[in-house]
Amino acid sequence: MDPRKIKFLVTGCVVAGAMVALFAVSLNQPGSAYYITVSEFVQGRTQGDNFRINGKVVEKSVERQGGSADLAFKMTDGTSVLPVRYHGVVPDTFTDTCDVVVEGEMGSGGVFAAHTLLAKCPSKYESAAAAGATHPTGS
Amino acid sequence: MIVLIGQYALLLAVLTALWGMVAGALAGISGSDGLVASSRRAICATFALVTTTVLALEHSLLTDQFGVLYVAQNSHRTQPIPYKISALWSGQAGSLLLWAWILSLFALAAVLINRRRNRPLMPWVQAVLSGIQVFFGYVLVLVTPPLAVGIAPADGVGMNPLLQNYWMMIHPPTLYLGYVGVAVPFAFGMAALLSRQTGDVWIRTTRRWTIFAWLCLGTGILLGSYWAYIELGWGGYWAWDPVENASFMPWLTATAFLHSVILQEQKRMLKVWNAVLVILTFSLAIFGTFLTRSGVLNSVHAFTGSGLGPHFGVFLAVLVLGSLGLLIWRLPDLRSEHRLDSLISRESSFLLNNLIFVGIAFAVFVLTTWPIWSELATGRNVSMGVPIFNRVTIPWFLVLIALSGVGPVIAWRRASLRSLKNAFLGPVIIAAAVAAGLAAAGVRQVYPLLFYFCSVFVFGTVLGEFWRGARARQATASESFSTALGRLVWRNKRRYGGYVVHLGIILCVIGIAGSSAYKREFTWESVRPGTTMDFDGFRLTYDRHRIETMPEHQSVVMETTLTRNGRTLAVMTPERRSFQRVDNPTTEVAIYSMILPRSVRDLARVGEDVYLVPVSVDERSGLASFKVMVNPFVNWLWLGGVVNILGTLLAVLPDRRERAMLALTLEENEENKAAVA
Repeated sequence: MDPRKIKFLVTGCVVAGAMVALFAVSLNQPGSAYYITVSEFVQGRTQGDNFRINGKVVEKSVERQGGSADLAFKMTDGTSVLPVRYHGVVPDTFTDTCDVVVEGEMGSGGVFAAHTLLAKCPSKYESAAAAGATHPTGS
Repeated sequence: MIVLIGQYALLLAVLTALWGMVAGALAGISGSDGLVASSRRAICATFALVTTTVLALEHSLLTDQFGVLYVAQNSHRTQPIPYKISALWSGQAGSLLLWAWILSLFALAAVLINRRRNRPLMPWVQAVLSGIQVFFGYVLVLVTPPLAVGIAPADGVGMNPLLQNYWMMIHPPTLYLGYVGVAVPFAFGMAALLSRQTGDVWIRTTRRWTIFAWLCLGTGILLGSYWAYIELGWGGYWAWDPVENASFMPWLTATAFLHSVILQEQKRMLKVWNAVLVILTFSLAIFGTFLTRSGVLNSVHAFTGSGLGPHFGVFLAVLVLGSLGLLIWRLPDLRSEHRLDSLISRESSFLLNNLIFVGIAFAVFVLTTWPIWSELATGRNVSMGVPIFNRVTIPWFLVLIALSGVGPVIAWRRASLRSLKNAFLGPVIIAAAVAAGLAAAGVRQVYPLLFYFCSVFVFGTVLGEFWRGARARQATASESFSTALGRLVWRNKRRYGGYVVHLGIILCVIGIAGSSAYKREFTWESVRPGTTMDFDGFRLTYDRHRIETMPEHQSVVMETTLTRNGRTLAVMTPERRSFQRVDNPTTEVAIYSMILPRSVRDLARVGEDVYLVPVSVDERSGLASFKVMVNPFVNWLWLGGVVNILGTLLAVLPDRRERAMLALTLEENEENKAAVA
């Protein structure tokens, strides 16, 4: 084989290898997110002190306090129901019966204290072809 | 009546597209002129028919015919006229119709422009474009008919208020122009393989199409980001969301293609690679549409349940396997006519650029589709967060930016050490000095420093190119510097247009790096009217609140004044709106952009935004919570987008020399064929 070709192949492989290596290293750092369902959380099958729970907002369960950044609602996966409270900016996509992902920990009185709230509403959003169908808020 | 005409027009369009495909393929095989012409007429007819359907749907939207389900879902009686028009692309069926219409328009344009040219390619181009039309026509007739009728409600549901924004009116069509625009180079590429005309004719012919599609994709992405920034109220413009990634991936591979075709044109290299890239780009464009339409990422199970997913899945599989199969079949025709000489050369820098662009696209693809694979493998839906996307891609973007300063300047074939020193030593020194200055001024994070180093470096090399070129002209033609510069650019529009785009990208990079690394956030809760809030050298006074009643909604408007060093900068009036039709309130943020600095100390604040989010407000007492974000440099991103558009326009202006080149290549081909015969 032409030595020049080998030189190029080796360089290409080094770059590609570096990309793969960085990818693999990054995957092992926190940042990926398991979603657990409301039932899995309520039944306490998962360990840890920070959870990401996926479910739907129970209709007419949303309570907002005018003037403050507090929000309370209930979420469900169809079998279990979990009361959630959240403090912070609520995305406009958050509505009754929309799909939410909350991240946080169990607080006092059986209420889940969320520090992050993501809302996805594919049905209402189907037209937003390329921008922010979900967006993170909170810290 | 009009609805009925629209429905039948769509049905007929599928048939004409089918004939366009069959006749085109038969013409490609037999070489019959009659069949080519027949296929061409079919493409004209398809355009007329799809246009009829689009007009029928627009007519239904404008005349409030809620018997049409799509109209009932996306419009209502008092919806403002512009939003009635744009409702055409605010729902699924309508936006697919728009897709199909743009495709039929592009097919028509491509066919008419090349009516008397590219005789061997055109039958196959027509067949491929018609084939894509058949798929979209089929989906529109059988899966999501835009003109399906039902029992008319008294009034429609109306468009989601979040979408009622001028930027959202133009964002989807722009993006679709990009997605569909890619279909033309793809069709020419496939035609080149099918007809075994694998030289650079197809690439030269579709150069403007490629650039146009690339520009539309990029602009569409930026418009979407801008809409998210001003409308969604979270203070950011990019979150590696699947729908964003869906449009970003084809942009990445299209950018790679844009660069690698230069190697095929100049050096007759990378023929296979270019074919792979055009296949990849078009497949990703279809995949993007599939990803946003099928719901596959929410859950694999949602995919099989939804109407569109399986159809797109099958089409995508046929597309990818078919075109790659064709490529493998034609591999013997695609030998490179040149070889690589040195690692330190323009060829190498382009290859590295391609490798990285495709690598990033692949990484984004894997991360975006991770929920699918993880759910298939373990039954758990694991999605990848923003930090992982950033960690995986940012180092490579850094390399790409540095390359954008190297590639245009470094010599073809083999660059000597001396020429490297001439071209790069100056910019490297200036960039290092700027980076050292920034570090001394307190910039400590590594990535921003590296990004600013690379940005200054690229500015230096690219401006150096303008400077050297103009000086060289000046020396021979005894012109003034500005005349020389103007003529230089005008005579080499493609080259210097490309440089301007590189500068635009650098502006974007400065904006992105600055606004992500130095964003600051402040919150105030339960603030009474009359309170002042101090942050970051600014003072925000919450003066009063008032209620505004509009036909569509009721707003609580918070009047605030932004001052700095005692000078009033702006009155900011964020709003919380509640709509009659939709149960959740929406947030209207207020943004103050610092374009010109008021003092020397504020120089680093040029392009900075003060982004005021009304978190909540009590409409009686006016008790409110605010969040303020200071987003430095963010306006450089939008400015970079505008510069990109200008640079791209310069690069596609008609060029005498280029036309001569294309004519020459076509002539050569004719001669070769004559010689063979």
